[in-house]
Parts: sequence; structure tokens; C-alpha cells
Amino acid sequence: MFKKSLALLMMGALSISLLSGCGGAKTPAPAETTETTAPAATTTGGDAGDNLTKSLAVDVSTLKSSDNQPLLLKTEAKEIPARPEDPKALPEEDPLHWYDLEYSGWSAEKVNIPKSPADGSIGKKVTLIVHGDHPYVTAYIKGAQQVATAYGMELNVMSPNFNVDVQNQLVDQAINAKPDMIVEIPTDAKVAVQQFRKINQAGIPLIAANTLPEDEGMKYVIGWAGPDDWGQMRMLAKTFAEKMNFEGGYTITQHAPGGSPYFSRTYGIVTELKKIAPKMKLLDAQAPGFEAEKTMQLTSDWITKFGPELKGIMAADDSAQQIGINEACKNAKREDIIRIAAGNSKVGMDAVKAGTVTAITYQSAEADGAVVLKMAADWFNGVEVEPVRYLPKHIITAADVEQYMPAQW
Amino acid sequence: MLGRLESSEGMMRDMDTKKILNKLDYYRIYMILAVIFILMCLFAPNFFNTFNIINILKGMSLNAMVAVGFTVVMICGQLDLSIGSNLTLGAMVVIGLQPTLGWFPSLIVAVLAGSLVGAINGFLVAKAKIHSFIVTLGTMTIVQGLIFLISKGSALSVNDFTLADWLEAPLFGLFPPRVIITVSIVLIFFVLVKYTKFGKGFYLVGGNKETAWLAGLNTDLYLILAFILSGTTAALGGALLAMSISSAVPTLGVSSQMVVIAATIIGGTSMAGGTGDIFRSMIAVLMLVVLFNGLMCLGAGYEVQIFASGLVLAAVVLGESYALYEQDKVKGQRPALMAELKKGAL
Repeated sequence: MFKKSLALLMMGALSISLLSGCGGAKTPAPAETTETTAPAATTTGGDAGDNLTKSLAVDVSTLKSSDNQPLLLKTEAKEIPARPEDPKALPEEDPLHWYDLEYSGWSAEKVNIPKSPADGSIGKKVTLIVHGDHPYVTAYIKGAQQVATAYGMELNVMSPNFNVDVQNQLVDQAINAKPDMIVEIPTDAKVAVQQFRKINQAGIPLIAANTLPEDEGMKYVIGWAGPDDWGQMRMLAKTFAEKMNFEGGYTITQHAPGGSPYFSRTYGIVTELKKIAPKMKLLDAQAPGFEAEKTMQLTSDWITKFGPELKGIMAADDSAQQIGINEACKNAKREDIIRIAAGNSKVGMDAVKAGTVTAITYQSAEADGAVVLKMAADWFNGVEVEPVRYLPKHIITAADVEQYMPAQW
Repeated sequence: MLGRLESSEGMMRDMDTKKILNKLDYYRIYMILAVIFILMCLFAPNFFNTFNIINILKGMSLNAMVAVGFTVVMICGQLDLSIGSNLTLGAMVVIGLQPTLGWFPSLIVAVLAGSLVGAINGFLVAKAKIHSFIVTLGTMTIVQGLIFLISKGSALSVNDFTLADWLEAPLFGLFPPRVIITVSIVLIFFVLVKYTKFGKGFYLVGGNKETAWLAGLNTDLYLILAFILSGTTAALGGALLAMSISSAVPTLGVSSQMVVIAATIIGGTSMAGGTGDIFRSMIAVLMLVVLFNGLMCLGAGYEVQIFASGLVLAAVVLGESYALYEQDKVKGQRPALMAELKKGAL
């Protein structure tokens, strides 16, 4: 009897809180028009015009990242080819097979995108939902915070630690907090579609970042900012082919399945090598995760299985995976294997310096975070924002690795 | 005479105090939930409003559903480590089959898939007499491996959000259908297990399997049914979540496992078997979600949430251990006689 009464009391309290709801945030209804006005500006001090003038006057070009590079690098344009009728019908080795992934966002018809209030960025609240805890993400947040501080924006960071269900809950929580903008790095390209849709229906401006969502999700965002992974991989593939004299067998340790880097860091390499070095042969590609031990085991198995046929290894991650690859090559006395990797962690750059890795991609984590907050500030300032904003590409080799030290992560 | 009267009154007071303490211990999960909820209402910004409460209830749905079957397994004195994989299996099957079969038939298939895994677990535990830890560890790995093999590690999605919108939108501004379905399932099985003759058999089997057998219960059948229920509710929970987001990823159930195990223990289910309560497991899941949500409103990171839930689990387990220790101290003693000796009445 006591238990039942207590349970009834709890349910009553819960129901009362549902009905009364101090703060009264209502469930957002789906918008009926194709354009809505963004939430009212939360500026402090001075009128909107003053705010806009001040924030337009902010100069972020002098900001530096911790590796002494400009924080806001000059973004690059990308040539967009015509979309084939059915990209999936093309072979996987054809770069156009991956058209919808690589050029995601360029042709999406936007839906219900809020209009910029064009009243400046000072005092604006931005919620950044990352995908998980990782040293790259820590550096990313650092870069984002620098730009946010320069523009007077308040940045709130949420992390689901790579858990899709938790990220869904964080999206709901972020919507509840009603920030002036949400920036999200999706944990999964497909799950992102519904998340973006919810944020869009709540009338909150949204920028996607770092990893590309499915094309379907891009119609709900103002824009996307991050690295041109496909482009980087093509540049890396050229260096790889030159070092391998355009022939020989190679393997790939892949990124985590599901995200856009899984595809870009495999097929960006495969499709480019097919074009420029047809004599090079992909022997195997597997995803060992980001564990040095597992990668070491995988690489040892490859060395045993393929023997002298294995001439090169590409790693989707230049830190934990690269440690495992290098260890396996050392143990098997196969230092002759040409190694390249994606990323520029301290481990990767040390390996380039030591000569065990030929080349890595320069992908500034801090610039990655900075460019998306710059996009947010531009939008608040009423500046036209392109649908996709890429970081510049560069390949780091032993010739210039010192310029990028100390490593950001 | 007066001395005896005084010692009797003292005995009564001691027994009343013990009764109260036992009651408090029994209802501790409700009290913990109430305290955390009140604290978050007072201190966490944006916590106490309708939209956030709905978010909390939605956040609770998945693990509360999974906890239904898991609690019954633990009441039987067993363990099911395959709940995370079953949850993922349910999610992947419902989304994978939806384009071909439609929503409802694919949901049926998803749930049956989970039941099948549960049946295999139950059969191996009951008939082959293999320890449930080993059996379910094996099925967990096999099922997860199969999921990765078939999906090649990729997520699945459908571009139809009609059902997702219906499942997530609150009815009459209160409870989303997904929450209603979850709470209904919890209540149905709570009543079935706790208040029916058949359901009480699970407690007997978990409390003392031999005695249960001697009493005429088919203990093997109870074990198999417990595992089937666990597989079914895990797959159903995963399927419902996948339907509400129109997608599924192969790693969906990875973290749910630990949350469900922690919540079930915090809710008062003993790992030794024989005690437990499905409703309290749900309340424990709700408590953890309230804690996570509130901490996030306060700006705490994910690692703080994990730490906080670990602290709660540790506190509950320590409290239970202390209670057992106190119980053991007086085992076999006659409380009335001990009280009299203490007072020096004899």
C-alpha cells in the first residue's frame, strides 16, 4: 500500500512537472514555410547595429594555432563535376561512384533554413555537439573557442563519446536550451539526417562540421565546414605512387566504419591510384579500429600473407594505427615498406621526421574548429555563406615537417 | 515487572526502527530519484521544463525496455551479457527489412530474432548446464560479429520519417508513444512476475533452484523463458529506438549493456538471484537519465556523467553489503532474547 502510494506520488509529481514546466519550453512544431527567421538575437550591450558594426570589425586573420600556423587558413574552392545518372552503378574504383559522398551538400535543395538576423555575433550562444572525446577533438574545440572568443560568442560544448543514442539525447537537450546556433559533428552520416531534421524543424540554425553527413541531411543545414578528405587523399595517393615507382602491392588500414572518413580514406586512395598508377594493386583493406595492438597484429598478418608483394601501407590514422604498423614492420624487419597516413598528430609527425613514414596530410584540428565558428560568425553578420567550406590541403613530408611543430595533438 | 515492561518497550522500539530502516532500504531508489530530481530542478539551468522532461522520458525508454528482461534473468540468478548485441540486432533487422516488408512485419521479425537468441541462451544454460556468463558472452560476440559481417560496419537508414515523427511526438503534450509503449511493457511484466503465481516462480528458481524443483516447478522452463524474455525485450527496445530515428548503427548497444546492468543492481535486484523488481529497475534507469541530463544541463562532460553514475552504483552496492553484514551478525539469534540480555532484565 505504501509502495503504491509512493509510486502514485512520483507519477503525479512527474505529470505536474510536465504540465506546469517552469521555463515553459514547448516542443517545437515543424515549420510550415520554407524560410523562418532565426531566434531573436541575444546580444548584450548596445543596439543590433552597433553589435553588427563591432563584430564585422573583428579581425581574426592574426590568430595563430599552437603549431604557429595561421588559425584561419585560406579556404579552398573545389571543382564539382556533373553528377552521373546513377553513381552506384559505376564500379567502386571509379571516383564518380562516390559522388554523393564526396560532393555531399553541393546540390542539396535547402529546406526551412532560417534567415540570418544580420545583427552581429557578439553575445550569441552557440552549442557545439562533437562526436566524441579524442585528442583531435580537444584541439578542434580549442580552435573553435579561440574564434568564438574573438567574435564575442558564447560556446557550449557537448560530447556523446561516439554513442549515437547519447548524441540523439544531446540534440534534444541542445534544442531545449534554444541557442542561437547549433554546430554538430555527426557520429554517423546516416543517423545525422534525422538529427539535423529535428534541429531544422525547431527553427534553430545549424552548421554541420568535420565529417560529412549523407546528402539528404545537407538540405537542413546552413552549410558544412571541414577538411576536404577526398582531395587530401588524392594528393597523398600521388606522393605514395611516386615513392612506390607507380607499381607494387599495398594495403589500407581503414577508419571507423560508418563515418565519411571510412570511405574517403579508402576510396580516395584507391580511385586515384587506379587512375595514376594502374600497376599498383590493392591487396587488402581492413578496419582494426584505433588500437595499436590490433593494427600491429593485422600488419604482421599482412606481412606474413603477402610477403615481398606488400610494398606499401596506407593508414587512415597516423597515431595509434601508425604505431602498430611501424611496430609490425620493425619486428618483421620490413622497414622497406613505404608508409603514408592521414592526419598530423605528434606521433605521425615524429614518424615523418624519423623517416619511418613518408608523408602525412596536414589537417589542422584547431583550424577545423575555427573555420566552422568563422562560418557561424559570418552568418550572424549577414555575410553570405557558401554551402561547403573546405580547409586547405597540404602534404607534409620530411622536407617541411619542422614547420608544423609542435603538433596540435 | 516494571523492568520487563521497560525492556519490552525497548524491544518494540528496536524492531520498529529496524522495520523503518528496512522500508527505507527497499524504497531507496525512489528516494535517490527524488533527491537527484529536486537538486537538478533547483540548480540545473533549462532542466525543469516540459520539453526536457519529455527528453528524459525518451532517453529512459531504450534501457528501461532492455532492463525488463534482464531483471528477470537476474532474478533467476543468471546473467545475460548479450543484451547489447540483441538490442543492436533488433535495430538493424527492423531498418534493414523495412524497405521490403514494411514497418510492422519487420518489427515482428526483429523481435523474433531477439527471442531466438534468447532461446539459444536459455537452452544452453538450462539444458547444457553451461554457466550463463560463458554462454551469453559467446552469443554476444557471435551476434555482434554477424551484424558487422552483414552490414560491413555501415549504418542503415530509411528516408521515411513518418513513423519516427509519430513515435517521438508527445501525445496530448505529455508522453511520446515510444515512452507509453515502454512503460506499458514494464507494467505488464511487473504485474506478471510479481503478482501472479506463475511469475513468482522466477523468484523461487532464483532463490533456491533445488527447492523450486522439489516444489514442482519446471526450473529449466523458467530459465529458458527468462532468457527468451531478455532477448525479446532487448530486440524490441533496439527496434523501437531505430524506428524513432529511422536508422541503426552496428555499435548501438555497446554502452547500453553497462547502463542496464548498473541500473538493475541499483534498483535492488540481487546478482545472487531470488530478489528484484522490474518497476524499480525502470526507476533506476530513469534516475540515471535524470542524473546524466542534469549534469549536462550543468555543463559537465560525458566523463563526469560516467563517474557520477559509477559513484551511485558504488554507494548502493556498499549500502547493500553493509545491510547484509548487519543481517549476518544477527543470523540465528532471537532478537527478543538478545534485547533482554542487553537490558540485563534476566
